[in-house]
Amino acid sequence: MAGFGEGVEPPLGAVMPEGTRFIGPVGLAANWRPGDAPSDDDLATCVACGLCLPHCPTYRLTGEESASPRGRIAAMRAVADGRANVDATFARFMDLCLECRACEDVCPSHVPFGRMMERARVQIEPLRTRRARFVRWLGLSVVLRRRWVLSLGRRLTPLARPFLRKRVRTLVPGGGPGRRVARTTEPEGPAKGTVALVTGCVQDQWYRPANRATVRVLARNGWRVIAPRHQVCCGALQAHNGRLSTARKLARRNLAAFRDADWVVVAAAGCGAHVKEYGDLLGGEEATAFSARVRDLMEFLDEQGVERPGHGPAGEGPIRVAYHDACHALRAQRIKEQPRAVLRLIPGVEIAEVPDGDRCCGAAGLYNVLEPDMSDRLMEQKAASIASTEATIVASANPGCTMQIAAGLRNAGRRLEVLHPVELLDRAYAAADARADDR
Amino acid sequence: MADVDAARRELEEALGTTEVLSDPLALTLYARDAAMVEGGCALVAFPHTVEDVVACMQVAARHALPVVPRGSGTGLAGGATPIGDALVVVTSKMDRILEVRPEDRLAWVEPGVLNLDLANAVAPLGFTYAPDPSSQQTCSIGGNVNTNAGGPHCLAYGVTSSHVLAVDVVLPDGTVERFGSEAPEAPGYDLRGILIGSEGTLGIVVGACVRLTPEPPAVRTMLLDFSAVKDCAATVSSIIAGGVVPAAVEMMDHGIIVAAESFAHAGYPTDAAAVLLVEVDGLPEAVEAQSRAVENAARDHGVRTIRVAADDAERALLWKGRKSAFGAVAQIAPHYHLHDCVVPRSKLVDVLAGVYEIAGRHDIIVTNVFHAGDGNLHPLLSFDRRIPGTLERVLSASEQIVRLCVNNGGSLSGEHGIGLEKRDFMPLMFSEVDLGAQACVRAAFDPEGRMNPHKVLPAGARCGDFAMARGTDAAQAAQSIPEGSWI
Ligand SMILES: Cc1cc2nc3c(=O)[nH]c(=O)nc-3n(C[C@H](O)[C@H](O)[C@H](O)COP(=O)(O)OP(=O)(O)OC[C@H]3O[C@@H](n4cnc5c(N)ncnc54)[C@H](O)[C@@H]3O)c2cc1C
Ligand code: SF4
Ligand code: SF4
Repeated sequence: MAGFGEGVEPPLGAVMPEGTRFIGPVGLAANWRPGDAPSDDDLATCVACGLCLPHCPTYRLTGEESASPRGRIAAMRAVADGRANVDATFARFMDLCLECRACEDVCPSHVPFGRMMERARVQIEPLRTRRARFVRWLGLSVVLRRRWVLSLGRRLTPLARPFLRKRVRTLVPGGGPGRRVARTTEPEGPAKGTVALVTGCVQDQWYRPANRATVRVLARNGWRVIAPRHQVCCGALQAHNGRLSTARKLARRNLAAFRDADWVVVAAAGCGAHVKEYGDLLGGEEATAFSARVRDLMEFLDEQGVERPGHGPAGEGPIRVAYHDACHALRAQRIKEQPRAVLRLIPGVEIAEVPDGDRCCGAAGLYNVLEPDMSDRLMEQKAASIASTEATIVASANPGCTMQIAAGLRNAGRRLEVLHPVELLDRAYAAADARADDR
Repeated sequence: MADVDAARRELEEALGTTEVLSDPLALTLYARDAAMVEGGCALVAFPHTVEDVVACMQVAARHALPVVPRGSGTGLAGGATPIGDALVVVTSKMDRILEVRPEDRLAWVEPGVLNLDLANAVAPLGFTYAPDPSSQQTCSIGGNVNTNAGGPHCLAYGVTSSHVLAVDVVLPDGTVERFGSEAPEAPGYDLRGILIGSEGTLGIVVGACVRLTPEPPAVRTMLLDFSAVKDCAATVSSIIAGGVVPAAVEMMDHGIIVAAESFAHAGYPTDAAAVLLVEVDGLPEAVEAQSRAVENAARDHGVRTIRVAADDAERALLWKGRKSAFGAVAQIAPHYHLHDCVVPRSKLVDVLAGVYEIAGRHDIIVTNVFHAGDGNLHPLLSFDRRIPGTLERVLSASEQIVRLCVNNGGSLSGEHGIGLEKRDFMPLMFSEVDLGAQACVRAAFDPEGRMNPHKVLPAGARCGDFAMARGTDAAQAAQSIPEGSWI
């Protein structure tokens, strides 16, 4: 009940039945554990209008508040108001979130959902069983942080393949990575500037051809490309999985590694979204200025302009390309038109829009390993939507999505090639050059 | 005290363990809708079929649990807010469109189908579902039926009750009844009409037969921008007095324009005192003539600029700002409170001036975004509940705003319903006998008073009051209602 002093007749609508109260804090201390936690001011931004619900993939599949942005925020708020605890149920609600940030994009009151969820994940970390914590620690703090371990891991996968759990096996691509990108690549003519490439961990180990194509395309368009050897994992997966302190350490090292470049370009959407947020993560002028120099590759190409290839990548005929919007491009970086505009420059390319294309494919960092059921349902949906476009190629600018989509299509018995969009541009340049040589 | 544990076991048996929630944190998430009051519940159930709903009702009846139906929980009056040891029955998993019959211009849907999903599903056939609440992407047809929802386009097309031909309802004792029929006019009392807008107090809607409306051949959307609120409001009356009924006439004042623009980037003029978003539709010639009439009315009242949407994309953008306005007010302050009173269009100018004056006197920020064509106000009071004394000022201001509207010949609610937040205002409009009669209707459906208790009718309203006043045998009948069942 609202407090209207003694003897004051409360206005109509101020007296509510027993068992109800006007929303707002109840005067109890917050039940957060020590360490990072969602802030009260962030939590207060949600007015519970529900407009985000239909855009949340996990709500769409389950129909339950606990799997919706509004419900997850309400659960966080209950802990902040001292009405609930960080317990197994709370952890379950948070874990099922894809961190795709579709909700953030559609929320009219600008709720900073990603930031709140990262902090909520820090809160639930101590709840995990020791085994789960060990596996995460191994993956996030040892393997991804150290290139050589990751590369060893990749080299060992062919041997380990028969022993891997089936779901990991279907996801991990086979084949070797080929040559690493050069430390410095000079353009043919005078350089327009220096671009530093964030090579990415997963991208660099399993999708190195995309990195090589990136370097060729940038150099062809007049940029000096450097790939600083001291760069480390960007820290996105760590930040999304409750390890903000590890993420901050990694961010600081990258700040130093990329100091000399005019632009920092990222070809993997998940990394790009996170690197752009170093300013938020670390605070301070240097980090903020750094974030301002970061661009997604396709965004950069569109902004700076690229040479129009004289020829299509696949002979004369048209090719139908289904463009996959990675959540970390579409939502977190608001990149939608740029990659399409670049692809449209390629002769013969016809872009097919994927039905419900703004729905997460379920890869979501480690989600596909940690929450296999939900992830599989999203993967099937995505594969079916892509197949319905009758495209022959899928363009995907995020390695996690690429793995997931390739696995989904394979399971559905579809033969589509899944490429980074820059690889199409690179192929078109190569095809044009080959033709010029023929003449 | 009801045996909640036994009820839970029986529900789990009938629906499956995953479809029943009893964890305290999970229950918290169902303690409120989009309004300002929070309650609590004992159990939440997710039926998938009509049989599941019947099972819910039977279990609740056996254990004397109150039942609160819930769709998407976007209600703005606390209608879906449960109290005490209630069983909340959520329809979100009954979300199938059962049948679309373009030749009969109707569709049968389950209650959990989202309004916009239905509209999108019939769009390829050249139809739409006309009532379009601003929450249409999220709100459910079941919720729309139970609040008799309106929307911008209800000015020309009518609110939900004009678009629902029949409803299938599970009554509190577990029986299933159909009210209304596929044929437009059923003989006898219009019980369908009673069900529509009943806010979950009579039964649970498990199916609805909705009317499909053909898409108009031509549409034009215009944004008119004014430097004074009163000119903007006066334009509304002039348009309609001039014989034109546009498909929609929505008004937004300065505060809303700024908040909505920052989200939607629709190019709204952020220096305007108020804008009107007007849409006219019909045959191309009619659209032409109507837009000319609208433009003339606006010029008579000193419109600054008139922007006509050039294509569908621009039209969608203009609407996006309007439809996200409620959510966008959180940029002003974290909490909002509003009443959706309706006033005669001719009173809009005076009432709006009064609303600003009341808010100013209470030192509360007010913004206005509303269905101006129907005179359906939505004065949004924005505040931070965490600052002591603010809530009290908001509640005082709210009461005065509602009284102002009622005194100007208005009504309590245009579309959001009465729910919990407005029930104590009912006596401003209805006599004791009126309220008693309404309680009798309610008791006819729900004699035990277990359906969404505490909602709609004020605390004292009882069927007996009506019967007493009439001095008839009904008084005796009314005595048979169990003691203590507040209905
Ligand atoms: C941003 C925003 C904009 C809005 N704009 C509008 C608008 O333009 N016009 C308008 O009319 N409303 C509007 N509303 C209010 C709200 O969206 C509507 O009242 C809507 O009809 C509620 O639908 P719901 O599915 O969310 O129902 P809920 O909020 O879940 O329930 C509403 C009421 O219906 C009952 N109910 C729900 N489903 C059933 C069922 N199957 N059987 C029996 N009872 C049931 C509940 O008990 C409750 O009393 C808006 C709300 C928001 C947050
Ligand atoms: S997150 Fe945003 S859209 Fe979702 S309920 Fe909260 S305020 Fe509304
Ligand atoms: S981040 Fe994605 S999965 Fe998580 S709440 Fe938002 S929309 Fe849902």
